[in-house]
Amino acid sequence: MIGRGQVKFRDIVKMHGEFAALKGVNFDIEPGEFFALLGPSGSGKSTTLRILAGLDAPTAGHVFIDDKDVTSTDARDRDIAMVFQSYALYPHMTVAENIAFPLEMARLPKASIGPAVQDAARKVKIEHLLDRKPGQLSGGQQQRCALARAIVRKARLFLLDEPLSNLDAKLRLETRAELKKLQRSLGVTAVYVTHDQEEAMTLADRMAVFMAGEIQQVGTPAEVFTQPNSIDIAGFIGNPPMNLVPAHYTNGDIIVAGRRLKTAADLAGEREVIAGLRPSALRISPDGLNARVDLVEDLGDTAVLDLNCSGTTMRMRVGDHDVPREGDTICVTARPQDIHLFDPTTRKRL
Amino acid sequence: MTAKRLRTAIVLAISAVFLLAWAFPIIWSVLNSFKTDSDVLAYPPKLIFSPTLDAYRDVLFGSGSILPNLISSMIISVGTTVVTMLMAVPAAYALARLRFRGKKFAGFYVLTTQMLPPVGIIIPYFLVLRNIGWIDTYQGIILIYLSFSLPFAIWLLVSYFEDIPFEMEEAAFLDGASRLRTLWRIIIPQVRGGIAVTVVFVFLNAWNEFLFAVVLSGNTVRPVTVAMFNFVSVEQTLWAKLAAVSVLAMLPVVVLGVVAQKHIVKGLTVGAVKGGGRR
Repeated sequence: MIGRGQVKFRDIVKMHGEFAALKGVNFDIEPGEFFALLGPSGSGKSTTLRILAGLDAPTAGHVFIDDKDVTSTDARDRDIAMVFQSYALYPHMTVAENIAFPLEMARLPKASIGPAVQDAARKVKIEHLLDRKPGQLSGGQQQRCALARAIVRKARLFLLDEPLSNLDAKLRLETRAELKKLQRSLGVTAVYVTHDQEEAMTLADRMAVFMAGEIQQVGTPAEVFTQPNSIDIAGFIGNPPMNLVPAHYTNGDIIVAGRRLKTAADLAGEREVIAGLRPSALRISPDGLNARVDLVEDLGDTAVLDLNCSGTTMRMRVGDHDVPREGDTICVTARPQDIHLFDPTTRKRL
Repeated sequence: MTAKRLRTAIVLAISAVFLLAWAFPIIWSVLNSFKTDSDVLAYPPKLIFSPTLDAYRDVLFGSGSILPNLISSMIISVGTTVVTMLMAVPAAYALARLRFRGKKFAGFYVLTTQMLPPVGIIIPYFLVLRNIGWIDTYQGIILIYLSFSLPFAIWLLVSYFEDIPFEMEEAAFLDGASRLRTLWRIIIPQVRGGIAVTVVFVFLNAWNEFLFAVVLSGNTVRPVTVAMFNFVSVEQTLWAKLAAVSVLAMLPVVVLGVVAQKHIVKGLTVGAVKGGGRR
């Protein structure tokens, strides 16, 4: 089992007529990894998953699974299991028949199908629902049924297309944690498509961030969070996302809203930059940027402030103690290592 | 409350009028089939009479028995239905799903065949069948019936197939099923209702067909709709026997209608709601 499910995408292009859905995508997934494809809708992440599954053919480029070129291999011969966003359960079959279907197609003897179905159902805790039809299940139960159908076959790759998006918020959190445990215990390679950066951050070992048909960054969630390599990623990752404000850079310092802040950068000379400051990296201090508190959003254990720093809007996250009130004027600053600098024209990290 | 009651009463009254208009010929036929010929012609019509099975005995077991004709009708109708469905299901699936050159044209062509008036094509059909020696044969009549039942069945089935989300098939492919297996195990069971409706309509059309049958059949293959006219002649009309034959000819239709009623009602509403969903 170990060592199966390695994926390589090489220069994958997908055209829909004149529109380029994917503009040359490259990435590698290691066996046993939980890999997330993250991006806003229309960024190409689902297309990427469909090409990996064999449901769509790329216009150009090659897909390798376990070092074998599978670009023109049929979906059913790729040994891949997938959970669809809509679950795509077969409505005329019982839960047990749904889970058994991939094994039947693999021509397993009847005697071994029964126990395998039981086993898969137990892993996702639906063994008491085996005789029901999908229409008689709740959304969460349907989702588990789809999971069971995917894991029963022990395929080398496990694809998940926004599997949690149809669940309510509480169930989504529970299922998210269980999904991670399930993937660990099975030791299977999982590829997970989501537009929810929190899901990607919590689930993935590594992730690829898609923007407009291109991968902007591949890395661990921590790397992508702490070292976003473009303005677009900085503005996408984090909740609320990073504050991006125009600034003037001179020899290690930046001037924002008329105030000078120290940075960790050691670029020579002067230039215009975009400074990135995470809402959680801003802190109240005796001196720094003067800011008026326009709005306080109280989230219980934390609060998010809308700040107006002489015309520049920023958001800041503070703890539940000493929350300023709306209309207060405060002074905020950030540690040098928490200030990210980006080039305004290339939009890349400096 | 009274206004509501009044409305109910009006609705019931109108329904009753329509029901009577529809049901009267059937009731009249059934009554006459149990009368003697003199009772049928009695004036004023006799509502109370001593029922007899003479007419049935004659038309079933008498010299001009219509049993062979009922069997002919059954062979033609079942044959037409089976062949139609065998071809229409894959064709409708292809039209609903696959992308191929000329798909739009194929869909339109299927529909245009429904627009020709039957009288306009009956002579050419007759000539074609005569030239290949298929006049008065089962294969001849079934072939001609296919020419209008097949487009109709395809057209009806496509909307049912289009209702099935693509992800159904994609899930089945990833589960390791071939396209044929997917069609058989995943797709067809989900369009059962549509298939039932189509079967009923195709069967009824073939069973009730008269115009083509009267031209293209002969002494060997004569469906019951044509054979019935043996009881109408220049000298006299054997009303009781005619009524008995019509009742016998109606029976399979009524049975089929009752069995498939649930599917038909559901199927018709589905078609009505999303008739415009065809690409």
